Amino acid sequence: MTADTQNSDSAAMRFEILKGALKDGVAARVGRLAFAGRQPMETPNFIATTSRGAIPHITPDNVNKHLQTAGAYMALEDFIERPQQYAKRTPPIYEAPTTTKHTTRLHRFTAMPQSVTTVLAARRIPAVPSPMGNTNASISVFTSTGFQVLTTKEYLSAVEALTPDIAIPLADLTHSTITPNSKRALRMAERTDEWMVEWFSSLSESTSPPRTSTFAPVLPISYSIQWEYISRLAEDYLPTGQLSGLAIYDPDLLPDLAEHCPDLLPLPRLSLSNPPTPHHILRQIALGVDVFALPFINALSDAGLALSFSFPPPASSLSPPPPSSSSSSETGTEGERTTNKLLPLAIDLSHPSHATSLAPLSPGCTCYACTAHHRAFVHHLLAAREMLGWMLLQVHNHAVVSSFFAGVRAALLNDGEPTFDDAARRFALAYEPDFPEGAAERPRARGYQYKSVGGGEPKRNKPAWGKLEGEEGTKSDESEQVGEKSVGA
Amino acid sequence: MASNKTFTSPALSFELVARCSVTRARASILTLPHGSVNLPIFMPVATQASLKGLTPEQLEATGCRLCLNNTYHLGLKPGQEVLDAVGGAHKLQGWNRNILTDSGGFQMVSLLKLANITEEGVRFLSPHDGSPMLLTPEHSMSLQNSIGSDIMMQLDDVIVTTSPDKARMREAMERSVRWLDRCIAAHKNPHTQNLFCIIQGGLDLDMRRECCREMLARDTPGIAIGGLSGGEAKDDFCRVVAACTELLPDLKPRYVMGIGYPEDLIVSVALGADMFDCVWPTRTARFGNAITKHGVLNMKREMYAADFGPIEDGCGCPCCRPIEEEGAMGITRAFVHHNAAKETVAAHLLTLHNVWYQLDLMRGAREAIIEDRFPGFVRGFFGNLYPDRNYPSWAVDALKGVGIDLLES
Ligand SMILES: [Zn+2]
Ligand SMILES: [Zn+2]
Repeated sequence: MTADTQNSDSAAMRFEILKGALKDGVAARVGRLAFAGRQPMETPNFIATTSRGAIPHITPDNVNKHLQTAGAYMALEDFIERPQQYAKRTPPIYEAPTTTKHTTRLHRFTAMPQSVTTVLAARRIPAVPSPMGNTNASISVFTSTGFQVLTTKEYLSAVEALTPDIAIPLADLTHSTITPNSKRALRMAERTDEWMVEWFSSLSESTSPPRTSTFAPVLPISYSIQWEYISRLAEDYLPTGQLSGLAIYDPDLLPDLAEHCPDLLPLPRLSLSNPPTPHHILRQIALGVDVFALPFINALSDAGLALSFSFPPPASSLSPPPPSSSSSSETGTEGERTTNKLLPLAIDLSHPSHATSLAPLSPGCTCYACTAHHRAFVHHLLAAREMLGWMLLQVHNHAVVSSFFAGVRAALLNDGEPTFDDAARRFALAYEPDFPEGAAERPRARGYQYKSVGGGEPKRNKPAWGKLEGEEGTKSDESEQVGEKSVGA
Repeated sequence: MASNKTFTSPALSFELVARCSVTRARASILTLPHGSVNLPIFMPVATQASLKGLTPEQLEATGCRLCLNNTYHLGLKPGQEVLDAVGGAHKLQGWNRNILTDSGGFQMVSLLKLANITEEGVRFLSPHDGSPMLLTPEHSMSLQNSIGSDIMMQLDDVIVTTSPDKARMREAMERSVRWLDRCIAAHKNPHTQNLFCIIQGGLDLDMRRECCREMLARDTPGIAIGGLSGGEAKDDFCRVVAACTELLPDLKPRYVMGIGYPEDLIVSVALGADMFDCVWPTRTARFGNAITKHGVLNMKREMYAADFGPIEDGCGCPCCRPIEEEGAMGITRAFVHHNAAKETVAAHLLTLHNVWYQLDLMRGAREAIIEDRFPGFVRGFFGNLYPDRNYPSWAVDALKGVGIDLLES
């Protein structure tokens, strides 16, 4: 522990690596990330992903009460739309007055509990690719009123106004699944490098000690193309204490970083790579990621899925899953269950087998949804398209991921057998590779955000919104739809 | 002394706590199988066993001790079999307070235009496969017994009060009485569930009175006034309520079905009614509307985009109460505006505020009745709502009839 213990501090942030292989370069590590005035985060861990400043379906009182979430990812593009008739208005969030209970504008505007660490980036994850592309001084963002230009200057002043705990500077990203060609990749690195210089020189001009910690983006392109940019981070901004962490868009670069820039090793690493399953998370943890933003949680809740994995996997993972946790869907969309003995990563609560089950959403879970309610209720709420269903799933799914990470940390801290690596291997063998699709209807697509591809959700929505059988879903929204079964004789 | 003020029946007790010395308003305590509730009361409508995104825990924190479920909807989903297997609606939704259910008939008539009423029951075509279905008084009781509601409503023959067909109105009134007899006979759990009768008779006061007498003879533990809220003029509505409450016994709860606008609640309380329900406060929340003492505010309007005040100044709900107070969220109008119609959270917050407003209005009325200052409370309420004192004439007239002159200064 002695040689490996190292801290990375800045004015408002403290990151301690409690256990991990600093000397060997890349490996899983255990730490603690703390910001002044916020609840400290044991790492590896995750932060919730917000939409328009809200954790979907969860009111702030319930964030406080029922969500074990120490951080929240927010996208500036969710706050800066320009409604046609009011195109000149200042985005209201910049004017939010702070209070004793909400000491930053970002917390105040979103009513996010003060204990929650905020991460501000320009774009949602996953982000909608823009047809306009970026320029030398701006990126294209997608707001509720359409695509618009966000200049590096505007973004800087947004960060100064909102004082998030962590800010991710602009990066020249394509947000496309297609790997950029080497010419484009080189431009990405050069632009991001220039923007970083502008970022730090602008921040150093502001007088007061910065309340915001900068997590510099590491681009999803090969190290050899962005080495100059990364060297500058290590040589110019690390020694000054201006650089507090790294925002990793492709964790496979971590070995190269460790090899070429060992100075960056003590920095906390936030993965914005949108890992689609816990298998991917474990792999990234093994590469040394400390904190994850996990958009798949929101998407799976909307799909009616209750997460059901734990770490380490249950000891008897070789026995078949109990019938009640079957995730198969009878709609035939994903075909029959094979006879393999893999455990499901999630349970499709829209499946009729849960209609009368008084069991918790997943066995042994102690979250609010599982202690105050049961599968039968969530099943009913999904069938009735009642919003509370998605709310309860959000509470449960965040709780499952939270205890998954607690299990990971415990395994990493455990010096004896089984090791983290053993447990991770067993996890890979015990669980299915993917989430089930989930047959439930999604929430009414309310806004622009559904243009984005939901994390962990291969193809978005089934028939879309509104009607159930037999009735046009257009009249009132009091869910007076008429369903398949009828009362009466 | 106490016995003069208390009525008890197997599954309910009703204690009259105070009476307004001017109007017919009353304050009372209704004790039901899942605890007591203070009357007058507004009951939020959790149509499908859920109050629009709020957890039962959040609903309880507003002070709600009695909410509605709709029999028609629960009969469809999750269905009677599931309700029986799960052990009723309380268990289904994790709500340990009281539930009131309607009979299912009203919704069938209003939702399914093709419903047809015969002596046997309400006939309609299945919305699923078009096959003929029938909801009888016996079946409504059976469903409500499976739901396990603390207060069940009889199946009644509902037609719009504005119907000009007198003969049909009389038939509906008389049939409702006959159906009450069938409901009483079919009710399996009279010791754990209360069955309320529903007074019909349209806008014909004599017919209403006749119906009152017939229904009262059946001695149900509570009484509802039905068939209103169907588009009749407000003064007709008030006349019907006043005619009925005049005849009703002091020591039974009186429920006016389907009303929820704050003015309607206050006037109805003055006319001697105790219980109300309506989907409006929660429905309107989802359209971005906040109910306040100064009227309804639409949070989607641009004027609220940078308004960092609470939804309503002085409101004690978890969204609005001062940030220093326990459980306060510090919600601003700007945040609600930002997410109205975009994230469900905005609807949840407005639902929370609106339900609180309605319950708090009734709490305020109750306190005023107990302290015998109800007329002043009513004037203050209307003064806030109509600062120019341009009061609606139906309210002025109805209140004058029970001794409050809104126009007197
Ligand atoms: Zn749970
Ligand atoms: Zn409020």
